[in-house]
Amino acid sequence: MNLLVNGKTVELDAPATVARLLGELGLEGPYALVERNGEPVERERYSETPLEEGDTLVVARPVAGG
Amino acid sequence: MNDPLTIAGREFRSRLITGTGKYPSLQAMRDAVVASGCEMVTVAVRRIDLDEVGEAITDWLPEGVMLLPNTAGCQTAEEAVRVARLARAGGLPDWIKLEVIPDPRYLLPDGEETLRAATQLVHEGFTVLPYMLPDPVLQRKLEAAGCATVMPLAAPIGSGRGLKLRHTIEILIEQAEVPVIVDAGLGAPSQAAECMELGADGVLVNTAIGQAGDPAAMARAFAQAVEAGRAAFRAGLIDESQEARPSSPITGLVTS
Repeated sequence: MNLLVNGKTVELDAPATVARLLGELGLEGPYALVERNGEPVERERYSETPLEEGDTLVVARPVAGG
Repeated sequence: MNDPLTIAGREFRSRLITGTGKYPSLQAMRDAVVASGCEMVTVAVRRIDLDEVGEAITDWLPEGVMLLPNTAGCQTAEEAVRVARLARAGGLPDWIKLEVIPDPRYLLPDGEETLRAATQLVHEGFTVLPYMLPDPVLQRKLEAAGCATVMPLAAPIGSGRGLKLRHTIEILIEQAEVPVIVDAGLGAPSQAAECMELGADGVLVNTAIGQAGDPAAMARAFAQAVEAGRAAFRAGLIDESQEARPSSPITGLVTS
């Protein structure tokens, strides 16, 4: 399936979850923050939140800032 | 001396909060955070560049330091609420340094949007620390909305100009019902001490440490200044006088 992640197309085999996407991207660390179709996803639900063709995701994290 | 800073029921031994931006390297940031003795640091939230993931700042922060995510870059209440929700959902603390800044030149906050976002976020269970112009009327409204602190700017972010808004910050301190953390514009440890001598509950410093010639040494200097200023405030400063007041007896002069 094709997903739009941070404005870029990412291909992932179905069935996919948020946790699998993060794994593919190498972002399994503690603070990958995820928004799916405009809604924040709870960390506890990453492995059970399914992704569907055409989903738009934001993957963010804490960075240096004041 | 047991004199903790208490925010929303949580105690901090250090009254210095530091930002993690503008350091020459993550190692320099880490060294400065350690040297500062601070127990809470701010971080921004940004999209990850999938083509160049790079290092995670969280790998570089000392154990036990609390992360305070900010909403820097947000220009409206809706944007700030979105960032706060994303941060909390992803496992960051439910504390948020709320910044709603539509003006890129002076980076001055929008009080109306800040209040709107604060009201919503408190309603959703966040502990909200709003960045604000030192406006005593807005302070009352933010307190009534349930904010955990107010964070007035001393001068524009990163300007290093010091306590330019001293007189209104004094009013905030006088009428405060929640801690007053002076945030932004401090350039030197003496200015941090000045804030603390006035009775501010804490200060937040980023640029003055991150851009210093030796960030870790400057972090230590700020920590000492904050402690000295706080101790002076508790000790009770003398009143100012226009005229001199002799320190030696004016009678019994040898030459009389």
